[in-house]
Amino acid sequence: MIFEVLSAGLIISACLAIFLDEAVYSVAALAGTFMFTALLYLANGDIYVAIFQFAVGIGTLAVLFLSGEMLSEKPKQKTSLRSGLTVLVAGAVLSLFPIFLSIPVSIASGSGVSFGEALWDLRAPDIVLQGLVIMTVAIGIAIVLYDRRNGEH
Amino acid sequence: MDFVILSLIMLAIGIYGLLTQRHLLKVFVSVELIATAATLNFVMLASSTGQGLGEAFMVLAFSTDTAVSGVILALLVIVSKKYGTSDMAELAKMEAERAGEEEDAD
Repeated sequence: MIFEVLSAGLIISACLAIFLDEAVYSVAALAGTFMFTALLYLANGDIYVAIFQFAVGIGTLAVLFLSGEMLSEKPKQKTSLRSGLTVLVAGAVLSLFPIFLSIPVSIASGSGVSFGEALWDLRAPDIVLQGLVIMTVAIGIAIVLYDRRNGEH
Repeated sequence: MDFVILSLIMLAIGIYGLLTQRHLLKVFVSVELIATAATLNFVMLASSTGQGLGEAFMVLAFSTDTAVSGVILALLVIVSKKYGTSDMAELAKMEAERAGEEEDAD
């Protein structure tokens, strides 16, 4: 039952994120999508992925809220209650499909590699290189901000 | 309960938003939804096989996704500050007008 409720919430919040007029409300609905996704992972027993989804989601949403505030223009007409309800109903109808339909998927049995082994023994070069990429992005942003501040003075 | 169909529906919602929305931030939200659909499918299939390799890939994919999001948002803010709007149709119109003026000047 918990999976059905979470998947319905996921689809409804995704629909709201697309169809709500104001950018800030849209970002708030996207926050709901991230939360439901993380809860779905948690309910499925993928604890590490759920924690990462929470952490990444919070970071992305903080930046998105800021840029949403900066970029949003007031919409000419507000979202009516009727169109909001229509989106909710459409999301609820769409969420019936994963509950009642299924696609047969043949899954090969795994070799039983644990998360820690997979991350550090098999993908260690990726992790190191990705750390370098993220550090380069962070240094690049710091340099751009520093240059802009010097340019303003 | 089928996670393949769930992620397919999420993907469809994201693609629909990508094709129909004109606000840059909404386009970015659609891209995030598509990325969420892909990760959801991958994680659920990986956990049903019972091995941690899929989860490890997803942790890498999350951090890549975040870096990409940062770069996209930076570009988005720069574009909207430069042109004063976040509407893609208006941006295309402005760019077409600017190209026309340049051609006239030549």
